[in-house]
Amino acid sequence: MDAFDLPDVAWTPVSPRLVTARRLALALPVAVPVVGLVVLGVVFGGWWWWAGALVWLAWGAWLWVLQGRQVRAVGYAEREDDLLLRKGIVFRTLVVVPYGRMQYVDVSAGPVDRWLGIATVQLHTASAGSDASIPGLVPEEAARLRDRLAQRGESRLAGL
Amino acid sequence: MSSSAAEAGRTQGAAEAGRTEDATGGATAGATAGATGEHQGGSWRRLHPVTPVLRSWRVLVVLLALYGQQRGTDAVTGGGADLPGHLELLIALGVLVGAAVLSVAVSALAWRMTRYQVDAEAVRLHTGVLFRQQRSARLDRLQAVDVVQPLLARLLGFAELRLEVAGGSGSDVRLAYLREADAQRLRNELLARSAGLAYEGEEAPEAVDRTVLEVPLPRLLGSLALSGGAIVLVVFLVALAVTAVVADAQVLLLGAGPAVLGAAAGVWTSFTRSASWRVAVAGDGVRLRHGLLETRTQTVPPGRVQAVRLTQPLLWRRQGWWKLQVNVAGYGGGGAGTGGQDPSLLVPVATRAEAEEVLALVVPALLAAPEGTGSLFADVERGLEGAGEDGGWLAAPRRARWLDPVGWRRHGVLVTEHALLVRRGRLTRQLDVVPHERTQSLGLVQGPLQRRLGLATVATHSTPGPVAPTAAHLDAGSAAALLEEQARRARTARATAGPERWMEVPTARVDT
Repeated sequence: MDAFDLPDVAWTPVSPRLVTARRLALALPVAVPVVGLVVLGVVFGGWWWWAGALVWLAWGAWLWVLQGRQVRAVGYAEREDDLLLRKGIVFRTLVVVPYGRMQYVDVSAGPVDRWLGIATVQLHTASAGSDASIPGLVPEEAARLRDRLAQRGESRLAGL
Repeated sequence: MSSSAAEAGRTQGAAEAGRTEDATGGATAGATAGATGEHQGGSWRRLHPVTPVLRSWRVLVVLLALYGQQRGTDAVTGGGADLPGHLELLIALGVLVGAAVLSVAVSALAWRMTRYQVDAEAVRLHTGVLFRQQRSARLDRLQAVDVVQPLLARLLGFAELRLEVAGGSGSDVRLAYLREADAQRLRNELLARSAGLAYEGEEAPEAVDRTVLEVPLPRLLGSLALSGGAIVLVVFLVALAVTAVVADAQVLLLGAGPAVLGAAAGVWTSFTRSASWRVAVAGDGVRLRHGLLETRTQTVPPGRVQAVRLTQPLLWRRQGWWKLQVNVAGYGGGGAGTGGQDPSLLVPVATRAEAEEVLALVVPALLAAPEGTGSLFADVERGLEGAGEDGGWLAAPRRARWLDPVGWRRHGVLVTEHALLVRRGRLTRQLDVVPHERTQSLGLVQGPLQRRLGLATVATHSTPGPVAPTAAHLDAGSAAALLEEQARRARTARATAGPERWMEVPTARVDT
C-alpha cells in the first residue's frame, strides 16, 4: 500500500501552466553556460568545450522533462477540517494543515506568473516548519481558495 | 527633527503627556480600566529616568576595549602616533567623555519619547524619535513575561521587563529600565490581567510560588565538565601542551589562543547563565529564576508551553541527568536579540525524578490521564530509555537498520490520551512531548531509500524553538495512519482546550 494515497481523498491538481513557468525559470541558468561553452569552443577550439556544452545541455533537457512530472505530482485537497498538500516524486512530502491553526494566507504572483495567469497561495501557521504553499493556481481558484480558507479558519479559530 | 522637537516641547511632563494621550487615543482604555478598578490603568507611564545612563555605558565599554586593543597592537608593532604620553591620554579621555555625553544625550531623547500604558486589554508602547513606533500587545495573547537584570542594572536595583507575544522574532515588548519593585509589580499586574483574574485593591497580588527544583552547584559544574564544549577544550589544551613541549613550538600555542578562548567563553557563558537555577510553580505559571551576573526571572503562564524536549548526552548517562528545553511562542529559536541567553532552556540539568516532575508541571494534561500517574510515568520512562515496541510504542521496524544502523531501535512514537511522545537517539537520547492541542500541522516525508524499504518519517510542526518532534523511519502504512489519527486527535483536543485567559470563569467575566 502506498502511504501517500490516503483513502477517500480526491486530489486537485494544479495548473499545467506552472510547467511553463518553471521551464522559463530554468532556461536562463541552462542557456547561459551552454552559450558560454560554445563560444569558448569556437574561439579556442578543442572538443572538451563542446563536450561540456553537451553535458550541460543534456542536464538541462533532463530537468526540462522532469518539470512536467514534478508539477503533476503537486496536489491539494480541502477536507472538512484540514487542508492536505502533497509534493515531490523522489522526495515526497505530505502536509496536513488544520484550518483552525492557520494564522494568515498569502497570495503571490511574480511577473512571469502573472503573464501566464497563475498564482501561489501560501498558508501560514504559527510554526515555521509547516511549508504549505500551493503553486500554480489560476487566479480565480487562488482567490476562491484564499477566501474559503480565511472563512474556514475563522469559524474554527483557536489561539496557539 | 522639527516634529520631534515640537513633540518634546509639548510633552513637558509625564502628567501632561498622559492627559493628551487620554484625550486622543486612550478613551476606551480608560473606560475599561475604570471598570476593573485599576487606579492608573489608562494613564501613560514613563520608564525610569536612569535608563539613558544604564543604556549608554555599553558604548563606553566598547570604546575602552577598542582603545586598549589599539594600544596593545601599537606596543607590539612599535608603531602608533609619536605623541607625548600625557597628551595622548588627554585626547583619549576627551573622546571618551564626548562619546559618553553624546550617547547619554541620544538615549535621553529616546527615553523622552518612550511611554507605555497598561489597561485590561493590552500593553501599549510608544517609542522612537525620528521613526515613531506604536506597539500594542494584547494581554490574552501574552506568552511569557521575563524580568531581566543585567549586572549593572541589578547592582543599582533596576530591571527590564520583556513581554513575549507570539509574533515571531522582534515582536516582544521591552520596558527597560524600571525600578526592580515596579517591574515585579507590573509583572504581577500583567499576569493577573492576562489571566482574566479579578482582584481587590489597587495592586495585583503576587502569586505565591512553590519551589520545585534548585539545581545544586556541584551538579551544574559536573554537567558542564561532561559537556561537549569542555571536553573539546581539555583535549585541545592537552594536545597543545604536548606539541609545545615535544616540538618546542610555542607559536602553535599562540595561534590556538583565540580558539581556546572561544571554547572557554562558551563554557563560562553556560555557567553564568545556568548558575543558581530555580524552577518554581505559581498560580500564574511556571517561574524560572537563574543567572550569576545577569539574572533573569521567566514566567510562562499555563498552556503556553508548545512542546518539551528532554535530552541526555552519552556522558550524562551514568549520572542519569537530563536537560529540558521548551518551545514557547515568542521565545523563538533563541540566538539574535537574546543577549547570549537561551530563553527556551527549562532546566539545564535535572535528575530523572526532577525531570519527570517538571515535565508534568509544564504539560499538566499528562497528569490528568485516566489511568493515573503510574502508567504515564511508565510511558515516559520507555520514551526516555526504552526501545522497540514495548508499552504500545510505534517503533521503527527492523528494516530501518539499513538507514540508521545505530539508532533504529530508538525511533518511535507513542500516542497517549493528551500528548504525543516522540523518542530518538541511542547515544544522545531524546524525548519530545507535544500536547495534542498544541500541534500546528503535520507532515509526512519519504525519500527514495525509505520508499524502497517501505518507510516514512512523520513530523509534528511546532512553533519556532529548539523542539522539532520528528519520528523517523516508521513503517509507511502505520505512519500514514498515525498522521490521520493525529490530525483527528489534535482537532478534538483543541475543541476542548481551556480558554486563553486561564483563570477566567466564563460565566463571570470581569471585562465590560
